[in-house]
Amino acid sequence: MNKIVLIISLLTTGLSFAGGNPVEGKKKVEQVCQSCHGMDGLGINDTYPKLAGQFADYLEKALTDYKSGERKNPIMSGFAASLSEQDIENVAAYYSRLTVDKLHDLSIK
Amino acid sequence: MKKLVSTLLLLMFATQILAAGDIEKGKLTSYTCTGCHGIKYYMNVYPTYHVPRLGGQNEAYIVSALKAYRSGERSHPTMRAQAGSLSDDDIANIAAYFASLK
Repeated sequence: MNKIVLIISLLTTGLSFAGGNPVEGKKKVEQVCQSCHGMDGLGINDTYPKLAGQFADYLEKALTDYKSGERKNPIMSGFAASLSEQDIENVAAYYSRLTVDKLHDLSIK
Repeated sequence: MKKLVSTLLLLMFATQILAAGDIEKGKLTSYTCTGCHGIKYYMNVYPTYHVPRLGGQNEAYIVSALKAYRSGERSHPTMRAQAGSLSDDDIANIAAYFASLK
C-alpha cells in the first residue's frame, strides 16, 4: 500500500514539475505568441489553435518541429526559430497551465 | 428587385449552413478519433508525447490540421491514414463536433 502511494506521488510530482517555467514562459508569450494565440491561449480567431490546457509535451513537440522545419507553416517557422529549447519548454509550461475555457479530453461515447 | 434580394439572402444563408459542419454527424464520424484522443493521458510513441487534447479546439484549425494530414503536408503516419479516408464534409463535421465540446 505504501509502495502504491509512493509511486502515485512520484508520478504526480513528475507531471506537475515536468518541463519549463511558466513564469518565464509568460514573458516570452507576451513578446512572441500572444498577437495570434492570445495571453489566454484561445486564439484571436478560429484559424489559430487553442493552446490553453494543451499538454506541455505536445506543445514542445509542435514548436520543435516548426523550429526544425519538419512541420511547415510560414508564420510559425519564423517565430519558433526565434525560441531557444528552454523558451519552448517555458512557453509550453505557460499555455498548458491555463485553465479558463481550456481544451479537454474527448470522451468515449 | 425584391425577389433578387431575397434570393441572394437565401443563397448567403444556405452557403453558410452548407459550409458549417454538422455536429451530430461529426460525433458519429469522430468515434474512431476517441481511440487515441479520447483516452486520458494516452501517449504517442517514438517520439513520446501526449496525444493532444481536442475537446473545444477551434473549428477552422481542426479543418486545416486534418486537411494537412490528408495531403501529407503534415506528417504523422497514423493521422495520415485516418485523415486520408475523410471527405471534406467529414472533416467539417468532425471540426464542428470538436469545437462544440466546451
